[in-house]
Amino acid sequence: MLVDFEQIQKARSGDDAAFNQVVLAYRKRIMGTIARLIGRPEDVEDVAQEVFLRLYYSLDQLRTPEVFEPWLHRLTVNASYDYLRKQRRRHESRMADLSEQQVMMADASAGGKANTDERHRTQVRELLDSLMGSLSEDDQILLKLKEVEGLSLKELEKIYRVKENALKVRLFRARQRVLRVFEAQSPKE
Amino acid sequence: MENFDQKLDSLFAAYREAVQDPDASADFMPKLWSRIDAKRSFVYRLKRMSQVAVAAALAACLLGGALITPLSQRTPHISGTYVDVLAEAHAEDAVAALGGVRIDLLDADQQ
Repeated sequence: MLVDFEQIQKARSGDDAAFNQVVLAYRKRIMGTIARLIGRPEDVEDVAQEVFLRLYYSLDQLRTPEVFEPWLHRLTVNASYDYLRKQRRRHESRMADLSEQQVMMADASAGGKANTDERHRTQVRELLDSLMGSLSEDDQILLKLKEVEGLSLKELEKIYRVKENALKVRLFRARQRVLRVFEAQSPKE
Repeated sequence: MENFDQKLDSLFAAYREAVQDPDASADFMPKLWSRIDAKRSFVYRLKRMSQVAVAAALAACLLGGALITPLSQRTPHISGTYVDVLAEAHAEDAVAALGGVRIDLLDADQQ
């Protein structure tokens, strides 16, 4: 825990200063998780604020200190999921308005501005995001929490409130699907 | 496939490296509090509206009750079942209907 439970209790009873402390303690970690889950740096703050807004209005439901972190993770997962769903709808309509050539030109000019390191990072992000595109938003988040965030099955079990075996099956299927797309996209040796 | 399994693991690790924990901007907290306050005032308005709606419903119930009570008092009071009331209204008929039973206490010989 990054803060004492006493601090959380104070925040729960309406102490705004205590709530500020909780936000400041978890903000960077939550923003990092969101950045990797949604893959759009410009919207990370907005989603993080949504997470803390939900936290503020649901703190009174918290019963024990042990569940605070899994619970905050669950709020993060839910807010990221809502964002990805909205984003997919927006993206579909936006891409439908552009011609294929316009999309290619936009990609090329974005690549031209970046330096080498940044370009490499962008390529990694784009590659993984394109592979993840074959999964539902739900499975994308689950797989990233496991493989990128490095959460254990026990931690995922607490976040999702689902049995470990069910999570294993979902993770296995998601990974297999990503592997198939990865194999299909790679040039034949 | 095994080869791709390893490649995918490396890609996940590279992704973790490529997307670092970002720093929040200076107006993160002010924006968060303005969102909290906006929602708080919305929730307050919603609560207020629901209180008004409940009060209005209660008043309508009381008014309805006040109008219906005198009307119900005007109708004659009937206690008992329909048969009881009918029997009470025609007491003599009821006895006749049963028919008088004549019992001769004396023996026919004595008569």
